[in-house]
Amino acid sequence: MNKVKHSRFLVSVLVFGAGTVMAGAVAVGHTWTDAMITEVITIVLAAAYFALTASHSDIGDIYAQREDERQHEVLVKAQSMAWRVMILTAFVCALIAVAGNHNYWQADVIGSVGGFSFLFALMAYGAHDEQSASLSEGVMAGRQHHDELTVPEETTGE
Amino acid sequence: MLSILYIVKNRVREERGLRGLSQADLAAGLGVSRQTVIAIESGRYSPSLPLAFRIARYFTVPVDMMFDPEEEVAT
Repeated sequence: MNKVKHSRFLVSVLVFGAGTVMAGAVAVGHTWTDAMITEVITIVLAAAYFALTASHSDIGDIYAQREDERQHEVLVKAQSMAWRVMILTAFVCALIAVAGNHNYWQADVIGSVGGFSFLFALMAYGAHDEQSASLSEGVMAGRQHHDELTVPEETTGE
Repeated sequence: MLSILYIVKNRVREERGLRGLSQADLAAGLGVSRQTVIAIESGRYSPSLPLAFRIARYFTVPVDMMFDPEEEVAT
């Protein structure tokens, strides 16, 4: 799968833009003070991303999307652990919401979308029967080809 | 269940030393990070097959001379 690489500056600007939109939403639904806090956090995050991706450490390379194969393995392991922690946290939050008789439809949406996405990803990235069949056909075809290339005994000059 | 841990030894550090290259030089030549070169040399990371071939080609050494997969430890 090809990965689109974005420049550090562009991603920082995107983080800043998304955070500013969120700050706007906070200003509409909450108070200006909350909106200002959100904006400050956004600026800090965008600046931290820009500074972090300048370093040639594992974290810097991964965040800058220039990771090599070992760093990609580190990324997958980190994502896997974060996923497990997130699921556990979501379960506890849903449990609290249900026990407190609060709305928990968000947990339903997140759980359903996450579960179906996982199944879809397994189907998309997993090996399929057609691939296995074509692989074994390829092996058999290769064996036949090898047999055809085997030099008959009478041509060896014995 | 008996599990076998394969440890792939390699001669990356020796070959790099013979040629007087730094880890940063090798990393740049292979297109990987310096941390990855360090991890390979210390045996903490076994490179993928394409990277193993790239390393062998870089040093113009046969891949089976560069990597020795025969060490195995049963745990």
